[in-house]
Amino acid sequence: MKLLRELLFPVIAVVVAFVVGGVIVWVIGDNPFEVYGLLLGSALTWPDGIGYTLFYATPLIFTGLAVAVAFRCGLLNIGAEGQLYVAAFACAWVSIKLGGTVIKDFSGAPIGYGWVSLPAVVLVPLAVLTAILVGGAWGAIPGWLKARFGAHEVITTIMMNFIAVALVSYFTQYYYKAPGDPIMESVPVGEAAHIPRLGAFVPGLPERLPLNVAFLLALLACALVYVFLWRTKWGYEIRATGANPSAAEYGGISVRKQIVLAMAVSGALAGMVGINEVLGYRYRYYDSFSDNYGFTGIAVALLGRNHPVGVVLAALLFGMLQRGGIFVDAFSVHVSKDLVQVLQGVVILFVAAELLFRGPFGRFGLLKRSKV
Amino acid sequence: MKLKVLLVAVLVCSLLLAGTSCRQEIRADEKGKVRVGIVFDIGGKDDRSFNAAAYDGVKCAETGRHPDGKPCDKPSLGIMLRDVEPGNPTSIEPAMRAFAERGYDLIIGVGFAQAPIMEIVAKDYPNINFAIVDGASTLPNVASLVFKEHEGSYLVGMIAAKESKTGVLGFIGGMDIGLIHRFAVGYEEGAKAARPDAQVIVNYVGVTDGAWNNPGKGKELALAQIGKGADVIFTAAGNSGLGAFDAVEQAGKDAQGHATHFVIGVDSNQNGVKPGFVLTSMVKRVDNAVYQIVSDVVNKKFKGGFHTYGVESDGVGYAIDQFNQSLIQPDVIQQAEEAKRKIISGDIKVTDAMLK
Repeated sequence: MKLLRELLFPVIAVVVAFVVGGVIVWVIGDNPFEVYGLLLGSALTWPDGIGYTLFYATPLIFTGLAVAVAFRCGLLNIGAEGQLYVAAFACAWVSIKLGGTVIKDFSGAPIGYGWVSLPAVVLVPLAVLTAILVGGAWGAIPGWLKARFGAHEVITTIMMNFIAVALVSYFTQYYYKAPGDPIMESVPVGEAAHIPRLGAFVPGLPERLPLNVAFLLALLACALVYVFLWRTKWGYEIRATGANPSAAEYGGISVRKQIVLAMAVSGALAGMVGINEVLGYRYRYYDSFSDNYGFTGIAVALLGRNHPVGVVLAALLFGMLQRGGIFVDAFSVHVSKDLVQVLQGVVILFVAAELLFRGPFGRFGLLKRSKV
Repeated sequence: MKLKVLLVAVLVCSLLLAGTSCRQEIRADEKGKVRVGIVFDIGGKDDRSFNAAAYDGVKCAETGRHPDGKPCDKPSLGIMLRDVEPGNPTSIEPAMRAFAERGYDLIIGVGFAQAPIMEIVAKDYPNINFAIVDGASTLPNVASLVFKEHEGSYLVGMIAAKESKTGVLGFIGGMDIGLIHRFAVGYEEGAKAARPDAQVIVNYVGVTDGAWNNPGKGKELALAQIGKGADVIFTAAGNSGLGAFDAVEQAGKDAQGHATHFVIGVDSNQNGVKPGFVLTSMVKRVDNAVYQIVSDVVNKKFKGGFHTYGVESDGVGYAIDQFNQSLIQPDVIQQAEEAKRKIISGDIKVTDAMLK
């Protein structure tokens, strides 16, 4: 019964969103069933559809978890976008410097960018750790600003997003771009830093699909977040702070410490997006690679009710929509991929507007307020 | 409880319906026609410039009509066209693959940023033809459609210098990259050739992708250049260039109702964007190049490698129409035509900034 109660609103929201989207499609002049067939069909075919759906879901799992952890502490982390940018860049930087990147200039003369060439067993963990630590540090700053000076985290994280984007663009453009490259991207990382694609192990999954080990890491992160929040003292203290800071303080919990800790963990999770992007997909830092993952993460967390399992399900749904959106855009007659945005928007609207349903559903006893 | 049952039923039904309709993905009209897929740049097909020109080309090939419904001067090729606006850099590769998976005959990528992605995809599908606008690839199944922007820029530079009263010209580039330096250098050489004392102020909107889509910054730069005495401003900045159009309009008209400052449009013919304020446009006939490559595929004459479009094939040039006829003196046009002939014959060599 409890599980059902948790699932009810997200599911209703999704169904309603599809119905509303269907009406819009019908008004525009396409057949809604055909369009949804295209959307879901392209997202759920094996191997390309499922491969890409999981690949698109990976960053959203990370950012969804990031937002969820902060939210459990009563904080709204709007800064996942900035955290994942600095982390991805730092991850690429380490993999370039310690991966021994060498590129050729116009005349064919080699230009070395690295200091040393570490083997994969050392380099990959180092690069992964860098992404986590740098993301965590970037997240901890607004946490500290809030704990120390009471600066509101929504303002500071938004501001830090701008700093992050400008900073990494600057370094990419002036220090780590291959000479003459018109695209804003860094030189490639050392080959030892590449993490394997899942196609290397899973039979039937071609290796050209960018789905990589970072997806498994995302699932692992989910399990760890669950254990952290519900099975450890720190997690308990974070949730207590989120539920009622004054009571937590009275109970002997250092609220300030919890705020910094929650933001650091949140930032670290957001930073792990860099692992998927840099080590698993493009093998370089590509400027403005993020398709608003940080902000979509807020929606994912909201739809997933700030629970790791919910986050995974919500991320899968959004990944499906992103994959299917391309096909709807390409192969439907009138509808563009903005349909996906409409669907996402309506989902969020209905999840957020839970109160709307509270009246009609309340009498079925489905809506007793659940505990924290 | 009834409600729950109902919900589950609705869910199951919708899934079932969705499942059954999956199988009719390819519509009847796709059979027998040459199928072309085009993947636009981040800007999207309605940017009134570069992407719009590419869209115009494929649309003419599909229907024989421009996107606004007016007939093209070229016949319809009877192809089936599908397009994608990826919107973010992660969707470009799956968009190309979406077409390739379905065995499309030609896949067109718009913009240099797609070149490395197209290399990866084209390697996996050696039997499918690809074309990249503004980008370069060495694969045999990829046609690289490139333009001699420096030659067109030279011609509009001449016109600008001749029509300028102050002798100070402005140039606003989008992203600070080799491709745009090509416009700037050609423009400056043309201006200096027509008027040795001409001075060109060069500014760039930025160094990131965002530089193509920042009209506010474009306007600021244009106003700053006007402040320094520039009275003709050439933009090569995608959407950001539209800010310069606002700036010259803001600079106003003189007592006779003529504009005091002018802007030169880019890529598409932008003369009609702000009539009276647009001296001319450096048109890059992306539409012709795209139409041509589609027609090659239809006639089974597709060839990979470089397809270069310069003034000799009207791949680049300047636009004269009802909006700017009265703005340019006939003898200036004559001189520009003369220079065009000399470029074709090789008597004038315009520096290509990308080869430096």
